[in-house]
Parts: sequence; structure tokens; C-alpha cells
Amino acid sequence: MSSTLYAFGSRKSRLVPYLLLLPGLLLYLFVSLGPSVATTIYSFTDASGLLGTAVHWVGLANYEEFLFRGANARDNWEITLRTLQFAFLVTVVQTGFGLLAASLLNQRLRGRNAFRTIFFMPVILGATIIGLMWTLFLYPLGGPVEKLLNLLGTRSDFMGGPPSEAFYWIVWIQIWANMGTTMIIFLGGLQTIPNELHEAARIDGAGAWATFRAITFPLLTPSLNTNLLLNIIGSLQAWQLMLVIKGPTNGLNVLGIWIYALAFGRQSNNPTQAAMRQGYGAAASVLLFLLVLVVGLTAQYLIRRRERRLLG
Amino acid sequence: MKRRWSLVLLCLLLVVPALAFGQAKTTLELLIHQNDPMVNYINSMNEKFQAKYPAITVNVSVVKADELATSTQTRLTANDVDVIDMFGFAQGILPFMKGVDKPNWQTLIEAGYLMDLTGQPFLKFYDASAIKDAGSFNGRVYEVNTGRYAFTGVFYNKDLFAKYAVKVPTTWSQLLAAAATFKKNGIAPMTCGGKDGWPVLVAGYGILLSYYPDQAALVKGLWTGEVKWNSPKSVEMWKRMQILARDLIEPGASAIAFDAAPGRFASGAAAMLPAGSWDAPAIQAANPNLKLGYFPMPASDNAADNKYLGGKYDVGWVVNAHTAKKDAALKWLDFFSQPANYQEYVTATGIMPTQPTATLNTAFGKEAKPYLANFRLGFELLWANIKGQGQWMQPNASFFKPFNQWEDPAKLADQVQADLEVALKAAK
Repeated sequence: MSSTLYAFGSRKSRLVPYLLLLPGLLLYLFVSLGPSVATTIYSFTDASGLLGTAVHWVGLANYEEFLFRGANARDNWEITLRTLQFAFLVTVVQTGFGLLAASLLNQRLRGRNAFRTIFFMPVILGATIIGLMWTLFLYPLGGPVEKLLNLLGTRSDFMGGPPSEAFYWIVWIQIWANMGTTMIIFLGGLQTIPNELHEAARIDGAGAWATFRAITFPLLTPSLNTNLLLNIIGSLQAWQLMLVIKGPTNGLNVLGIWIYALAFGRQSNNPTQAAMRQGYGAAASVLLFLLVLVVGLTAQYLIRRRERRLLG
Repeated sequence: MKRRWSLVLLCLLLVVPALAFGQAKTTLELLIHQNDPMVNYINSMNEKFQAKYPAITVNVSVVKADELATSTQTRLTANDVDVIDMFGFAQGILPFMKGVDKPNWQTLIEAGYLMDLTGQPFLKFYDASAIKDAGSFNGRVYEVNTGRYAFTGVFYNKDLFAKYAVKVPTTWSQLLAAAATFKKNGIAPMTCGGKDGWPVLVAGYGILLSYYPDQAALVKGLWTGEVKWNSPKSVEMWKRMQILARDLIEPGASAIAFDAAPGRFASGAAAMLPAGSWDAPAIQAANPNLKLGYFPMPASDNAADNKYLGGKYDVGWVVNAHTAKKDAALKWLDFFSQPANYQEYVTATGIMPTQPTATLNTAFGKEAKPYLANFRLGFELLWANIKGQGQWMQPNASFFKPFNQWEDPAKLADQVQADLEVALKAAK
């Protein structure tokens, strides 16, 4: 009869895995779940965020104001639609570019490792450095891109211009800043595909595109799914780059930065009469969470269905 | 013998830490907004203050003006700030204002975050009216306001004006003619710190003031419906704001940060800079040889409408009511308020003084003096944001291209009025 040795006696040792999980769980509770629950409770109050100020329970008033009250509600719906547009563009383009970069950098190329590092570097730079870099690069009074446009007989205000133009520049910078992560995940997926499959396809006379379409891309499904979910969720919540580059700006805001503006009194250009409304901002962030949940779950359902169909 | 030395050692062990504690340094935390001349002056004044009070060290944190309110709230909540610069608060919520967001300063006072400074000895150095108008609430004093800035005027380069034989414009047509002359000669008519957004808003305030010199009446009229943002008069005002943003301010100004605009103007790249008088010291510092002038924005073709200078009470000092360094904070305020130090502050910053003994003896001060009799408090101090008010409900020249999306002044006027009416309806 075999016996298993337990370090502290059989009953206590069954507790060891849970004890080892406890620090992580506590960290999650204090840093993530706890503040999320607190934010949800806050969203039903008129809290300004100042300790010592009277806080009143207002029920669904913040939600009603955000979604239905006055011209404010119109602006909020416009911001929500813009957030979805932002997330769609960033997800599609970033995923596509990430796949392209990974495919190229999976080849046997001289300096391949250096290129991989260069592509990944923006991920570690941080929003402040990236924002400053691109502000200088796109400086409309003599910056490098402006000089190039002048040679072509035109000019642009880039991110300082009308929102219809500035928006796409910010989408591009968001993609540039995060494409490295997408590329690395795809690269990992490409390297799990056995070379024999590609060789077999080559022997059978399949070209590069046919091989990619019939073999590589289907087998990249797990990596694709991971990237799509990360990109959708990340881009729906994006706000740091926009804060560094532009700050809250009419006609350009997405939900992430709008929540910051509402909570910290930057929803108008009037610094004397600014008002911080953290209860209202909390309601907006709960709505953003619900949006991310709905979009994320829908995307996950569609992605999983495709994965089951392709890979069984 | 041993016992005697033991007693001496014991006494030393008790007394020395007590002495050290008694002379422990206090660090006074100061929070101010970015304004180069003010920051430089405060740093130099702090050296003199610390020399006078060696037990107090002053640590200054500087933030951008549009982040001051956020930083103020978070640091007061964390109780790690003692003295804060806060823009002067002119009035609270008026009886006819319903459904408005309470401004932060009022929330801070009512929550007990700002120290009541009523009766402090250094208040006697200031104009009673400035103390009342720009730092009091419900009869108590919470802020020591340090001065007013005008923000509806236009700085101009006297040498460029002389070179191209351009006279100081007193009407809108004259302003357009001056701009055309400069453009023809390759000089940008105006520059502005468009990157930060609010400098273009401020540049437009001069146009607003020409059309509505009584800004308090404007605010009330908007609430009661007597004044509309899309009346023929207002549409004309919006058209002129568009011309300012699109044609007078140089292309690419959207890239110029507000603290870089004075240097650009001082370099001669532009003939005029519509900005607040807080920029005067920075312009002079960038180019001490520049002959600087200032005139009210002439947005009307009737010169009599263009004689006003609008502005606000600007930097004021408030004290954290929960500070453990109350004595140090009040010493600092007292030191700042001493007439000799205050005069240096006025000269360094170009602020219009709120102490009767101080004078603005700078070149700019002499330029602005003739207009100060017609000083008016600006719209932004008097308006309270209404819950439900839309994002376009503001008299803001930066709504127009190239800074934002609007191209049709009449359509923008309709949008602004619609945003206001929806909010007023919801507020009743």
C-alpha cells in the first residue's frame, strides 16, 4: 500500500495550496476587486471625492443624467460611439500589423533579433515618452513630418487640428505604442507551428499565400483570439496617451479620458468654476465596464465558436 | 564618581533629543500653477523667507494651470499640502441659478478644507474690496488674493507696428487692416498657445467683452432667456471669433504650448499676442529690448465699445485647514504680504496689485493703466456650469477650425444655444 508523505500532517497539508494562494488573493481583493466594488457603490452617490464632504445616496440619478439628461447625454452617447470606433480601428489595424510583423520576423533574417527588439520597444516606453516623441515628430511648425508635407505642397495641424484629423493620429499612435505586444504573441504562436507542415505544403506545390491561408492562419487561431481580446479590452479602456497628447478635448474624447475629466473637474475649460464629481464619474466607469463586458463576451463567444470550428 | 558621570550622561540623553526636536525643521508644502514669472519669484522669495525662518523649509510643487484643481483636491484629501495657489473666486451660486454644479472652491470651503483667515493681521495690507470680492464666502475670508490680470487685451510689438506704419487698432476693421499689412509682409498677425486650448478661449474673451461689456448681465440674461447665443448680435460675435481663430492666429498655433507663446511673440515671429497680462513678464524676459504695447481687443466697429479690459482675480493663497504647520503657513503668508515683498511680486509677475501701496511700474503697467478704469470681471468667473449642459455651451473661439470642428458660425451659435436651453429646461 502506497502512502503519501505530507509535510505538516495530511489535514493541514491540504490547506497549503490555499495558503499559498492567499497573498495573491488578498492583493487582488485590495487592489482590484475591492476598489471595483467601492466604485460601484460610489456610483449611486453624489460624492465629490473630498473626504469630509457630505455624501448622499442618489440611486440611479447619476446613470439617468449620464444616459438621458440634457445635451450632456447626447455628448456622452457620442463619446461612447467614438470609443467603439476607436476600439474597432485599433483592434483591426493593430492585429493586422502585428501579424504582418510577426510573419516577417519569423523568417531567417540577419538582425532579426534586433528588429524584434525595435518593434517591441514602444511597449516599454510608457505613455509620457511616447506622447512627447510623437508631439515633437508631428510638430506643425517645422517638425519632420510637417517638412515632408511642405515638400508636397500641403500642411497639417496633426493632433492640434480638427478632431476629424486628430482622432486618426491618436489611433495610429495607440497602435504604434502597443503593436509590439501583439507581435510577440503572434510570434509565439508561429513558432509552435511544426515546420514539417510548411515543408509538406511546399512539396505539394503550395505557394506562400496558400500556405499561410490554409495552414498558418488557422493554426494561429489561439494567438489571434488572445490578441483580439486583449486589443478590444485594452482599446475600449484607453486614455493615458490621449491625456498626455491632448487632454480632454471636445469632439475627441473617448470614454476613458471622459471619465477622468468628469471625476476630476476637467469637463469644461473653466478652471474657476470646475467641479469634481466622483460619484458621477464612478457611474460612467461602471457603464464603461458594462460596455467592455458586453463587447468582450460577444467577441469571446464568436472567437471560441470559430476556434471550435477550425481546430475541433 | 561613576554615579556622577552616569547622572550627567542620563541628563544629556534626555536633553539633547529634546533640543533637537525643538529645533526640528518644518517643511512647508506649497502648491502653485505654472506661470514662469510667478514660479521664479516665489522661489527667490522662499530663499529670503528661509533665511529669516531657518527652522522652516519651503517645498514648492508646480502643476499646469488646468491641472491645479485636480491636484488641489487630491493633495488636500491626502493632507500633504499646506499653502495652495487658487484662482480668485468671485461669487458662489446666485439665487436664479438652478441645477448647477457647485464650484470646487465652494465645496472645499463647505467641507472645511480651507482655513478661515478672517482677522489675520496681514489682511490689513490688502484692498478691502479685493478681499471681499475675490476670497470671501458667507462673510468669512478664505483666500488672500494677490492681484488681477486682464485677459481681453492684445500685446503688440511696437517696433513691428512702426516698421510697417500700422497704428494701434481701435476698431475691428482697423484690426483686420493691420493683420492684412503684416501678412503681406510675411509676419504672422497673431500667435497663441493653441496647444493647451484655453489660450484661444481667452483670446476670444476680448470679442465677447466688446459685444457684452456687462458680463454679469450677460450671465443673468442667458439664464432668463433675454440673451441668446444665436441672436443676430451673438452670431456676429461668433463670426468674429471664427476670423480670430482661422485668419488672425497663425497656422500651426495648435502646436504652441501656452508658456511658449510669449517667447514666440517676443522673437518677432508675430506682431500681436492676444493673451492675459500674466504673459507680460515672460515676454520682457524673452526679449528685454522688445518695445511692448497692450490694447483692448477691438471687436466692434464702434471704438466706444472697445474701451473695456476684462479679467479676473487670479492667484490667491489658501491654507489647508487640517495642516499641522499652521504657524509656518501663516508666517509664510505674512512674509509674502509685507509691502516690500509684495511690491517685488507685482513687479516680477506684472499682476495688477490688490494692495493699495503697490504699483505696477513696468512698461506693461503703464500701457494698461489708461484702460483699468474700465476693468470688468470676466464671464468665466460669473458663470456656473449647469448639470446637463452640453460640451459646446461656452463662448469659445477654439471651437472653430483649425482648433476644432466648427466651420459655420451660425450653426455653432444654434448648437451653443440649444445646449444651453436643454440644460436650463432640465434644471427647472
